Amino acid sequence: MTSTPASPPAAATAHAVAAADVSKVYGTGDAAVHALRGVDAAFDRGAFTAIMGPSGSGKSTLMHCLAGLDTVTTGRIMLGDADITRLGDRRLTLLRRDRVGFVFQAFNLLPTLTAEQNILLPMELAGRRPDRAWFDHVVDVVGLRERLHHRPSELSGGQQQRVACARAIVARPDVVFADEPTGNLDSRSGAEVLAFLRASVREMGRTVVMVTHDPVAASYADRVVFLRDGAIVSEIVRPTPDTVLDRLKSLGA
Amino acid sequence: MLKTTLAGLRAHRLRLLLTAMAITLGVGFISGTFVLTDSMDRGVGKTFARSAGKVTVAILPEDGGIPASVLDEVRALPGVVEAQPKVEGEAALLGKDGKAVGEMPTLGVSVPSGRLLRYDVDEGRVPSGAAEAVLDAKVAEREGFEVGDTITVLDRRARPHRFTLVGIVDFGIDQEIGYRGAVGFDVPTATLMTGERTYREIDLAGGDKAAVAAAVGDRYEVRTGQELAAKLAREAGADTKVIRAGLLLFALVAMLVSALVIYNTFAILIAQRMREMALLRCVGATRRQVFAGVLADSAAVGLAGSLLGLAAGLGLGAAALAVVGRFADMPVEGLTLTGRAVAIGLGVGIAVTLASAVLPARSATRIAPVAALRTELEPGTGRFRLGRLRTLFASVLVLTGLGFGVLGSVVMEKGQAAMYLVAVSGGVFFLGVMAAMPALIRPFGRVAGAVPARFGGVPGRLAVANAQRAPRRTATTTIALTVGVGLMSLFAVVAASGKATAAAKVDEQFPVDFQIRAQLTDEPARLPRALAASLRARPELAAVIEVRDARHGSGRTVTAVTMSALGTIIKPAMAEGSLSDLRPGTAMVDQGTAKDEGLRLGDTVEIATARGTVPVRLAAVYGEGMPFTGLMVPETDFDRYFTVRDPSTIFVKAREGIPGATARKAVETAADPYPIARISSAIELKESLGNAIDMILMIFAGLLGLAIVIALFGIANTLTLSVVERTRESALLRALGLTRRQLRRMLSIEAMVMAVIGAGTGVVLGIGFGWAATNAMANDSVFAVPYLQVITYVALAAAAGTLAAVLPARRAAKTSIVESLTHD
Repeated sequence: MTSTPASPPAAATAHAVAAADVSKVYGTGDAAVHALRGVDAAFDRGAFTAIMGPSGSGKSTLMHCLAGLDTVTTGRIMLGDADITRLGDRRLTLLRRDRVGFVFQAFNLLPTLTAEQNILLPMELAGRRPDRAWFDHVVDVVGLRERLHHRPSELSGGQQQRVACARAIVARPDVVFADEPTGNLDSRSGAEVLAFLRASVREMGRTVVMVTHDPVAASYADRVVFLRDGAIVSEIVRPTPDTVLDRLKSLGA
Repeated sequence: MLKTTLAGLRAHRLRLLLTAMAITLGVGFISGTFVLTDSMDRGVGKTFARSAGKVTVAILPEDGGIPASVLDEVRALPGVVEAQPKVEGEAALLGKDGKAVGEMPTLGVSVPSGRLLRYDVDEGRVPSGAAEAVLDAKVAEREGFEVGDTITVLDRRARPHRFTLVGIVDFGIDQEIGYRGAVGFDVPTATLMTGERTYREIDLAGGDKAAVAAAVGDRYEVRTGQELAAKLAREAGADTKVIRAGLLLFALVAMLVSALVIYNTFAILIAQRMREMALLRCVGATRRQVFAGVLADSAAVGLAGSLLGLAAGLGLGAAALAVVGRFADMPVEGLTLTGRAVAIGLGVGIAVTLASAVLPARSATRIAPVAALRTELEPGTGRFRLGRLRTLFASVLVLTGLGFGVLGSVVMEKGQAAMYLVAVSGGVFFLGVMAAMPALIRPFGRVAGAVPARFGGVPGRLAVANAQRAPRRTATTTIALTVGVGLMSLFAVVAASGKATAAAKVDEQFPVDFQIRAQLTDEPARLPRALAASLRARPELAAVIEVRDARHGSGRTVTAVTMSALGTIIKPAMAEGSLSDLRPGTAMVDQGTAKDEGLRLGDTVEIATARGTVPVRLAAVYGEGMPFTGLMVPETDFDRYFTVRDPSTIFVKAREGIPGATARKAVETAADPYPIARISSAIELKESLGNAIDMILMIFAGLLGLAIVIALFGIANTLTLSVVERTRESALLRALGLTRRQLRRMLSIEAMVMAVIGAGTGVVLGIGFGWAATNAMANDSVFAVPYLQVITYVALAAAAGTLAAVLPARRAAKTSIVESLTHD
């Protein structure tokens, strides 16, 4: 690990994470499925990027590869200045623990832990002391002060998702990956979560990469990247729900 | 429905394999027991049939012996070609050190020559004449005698006789010979050496049963050779019946544990397949069909497990038979698998599996069809609250168990009845704990998980939380281990207490260093008084205590001990009166005899002495712990009443500061001229007592081991199922930065915590009821806890639990994160 996770070095590249000519093939021979076909993409530090595309376009696969959860068949993934395609499982795990945050669509929290314990879990796994002031700030922003000692089963879906967001932010990772974070939420709770993700980029200087199929969710991002059949086909900067929807229609989704 | 069932089975093959293992082990134990005992029975039967085949007719005494005159009578009968009597009595063989061998003197047995020889001659030939003898193979090997050696044997009056060893003989299945060893002579020499004037048996070649019966049948039992073989085999069969019953008792414990494991597995499987079941109901399956489907699953598992169990039983039986053949005097004639063994093994295996699956199957029928559409809650989790009925049930059982326990151990008179009550109370209390266990998992888990939660990092804390998250599941898993470990700790505590009690009694009441006995059990078994005199002459020895006894009336014993030692070295625990009350003309009696014969303090007892009946007054009652029982009179009175001067036992106390080896040397030197004097030290006595107890404990531990192994399979099983259930959770943890090693460690710790909960509960119960049992046994029992042993049990259980987690943990660590995250 060459950089301190809490504050990236000034000399580092402007990209938080970048994919260079990444392909991903599942299976072999006739049964081979090309999930990604030579994707080149870079995600700027301090930006909120959405990845969109029809079902089976490879958007989730791309995110999994970028986050070091899945391996690539060819190509390179640079997380900051580290080439994660060359790392073994253990180094990769440690890297995720220190430099990546996650928000998943569902099943984000450990049922045996309280909200607070869930939020602090990645830091504890890394054996790092939480910065108490930062923790308090994050908790207040997501509005969970009253619910810290509740277990996930005692929280609503929106609250659970906000706990997941707080967990993703509190360790100050280089990148936060969000996979359909609002997929299971009603529109009000969804809006709260998206507002928090945007705030974490604009006010706290985080980097967020979000996979979604919802044009409204995508409109919270600074930039939207469109995938089809495993390749990047288009992008929009400063999107609105309408521009995103139009672009999706034109892509035939 | 059957097709769905089989599809279900195939889908869960690995999980069911683990379940079937529980049944396999239990059934293996049962069928192994039958294979072993049936094979033993057959071997014994064959051996007897072979040896008795040579005998046409046998005459056996009703009780006592057959006088020599009968032999002449039957010899004269028509058709009788040959008649051989069997003489058996004591004839102590001296070892190469000039001392009588073994714990008890060897037997002197007649060895017939000619066609009525029923024993196998392993080496050499049968003895003939007054200068020849044979030995049984075991004694010859142990004492290092070979054909051609000269051996010395003591006759009935302890006079040495020398013989040439002409053969080594296998005396067949005879427990007494097996234990004591035997020297064989021809009939006249055997009569001379043993001093027996009657025969134990007369064997005839030729003649017929009717004629013999007509001649002697009203006085003696007459049997044909086959009848004799059948009788002998039946008597030996009684032994295998006892072995079988004992083993089956342990098999029962193993099956109980299997039932718990199976119940748990099915309960978890049903919970996990709730959606599947609900879907079946949605598409039109009736409750009855769902119920039958689950039972069919269990029947298939039971059948497969039981069949494997039969195979395992054959293996276990063969191994046990090999051990028995090597260490015991038992002919091995190959394996026997009877129809009964197969029927009982399969029947019990399938029945237990079905019975264990009934409750889970019933809960499967309660799943509403709409559950298929609901999002799944994690099965079995949440805070467990005892229902009202369960609370009532558990408290009634616990309180009844406690009540019985207190009644048996504290209130009731000590003895067998009290111990039975304690045993019952233990069973009832255990059932209560079993009912309440789900509610106890959280507090117990906190205790058992205190160390890993504190020092095991995040994986440790998560593991402890996981162990507590499904209380019912963890409760059943752990209680299965509690059964085996609990019984083992109970035995360990009772054994340790027994040892401590015996040692305490000896130290308190009889603090001597050596005991010298006569190596003869037949009357009169006495040591020459000259030995006591020469012992007294040794400067290394502080005190020499003689115990003399005499018979009076029918079998009652009157004892006297060296007066100066009474109250100074020998301090009997007095039940009533005191030692100083023992004045001339009085006697004391032990508590047991007093109770049996209804004697009380102040009663007058008639002692039949050499010079007529003498009335003595009972001045005191002494308690347990003396090496003799019955009436005890002052030494001077004994001298007046009886002519006995030689002691039956001599106790020796060494002078203060003399090393043990020096003291022993002094005693040995003094005893050297007396071959029948058998010296044992107090330390040896304690050790041999301890060894015997430890041996039994080890056998019990081995037999209970299987129940513990089954319980460990249960832990592996529960963990495997939990891992499957928590696939997404594990993937999340891995995504957040839990390494594979940490994931494996987390599961190991979870298994360890479960094992410690189970074993710890068992140890606590075992110690508690061990205390109750010890207390119920006798007034002066000393309670002792073998701390090291008990701690070892818990530590071993923890280690084994960790081991049980290896496979599920590997599986969990191998699972791909992405697949687990994306799949439902």
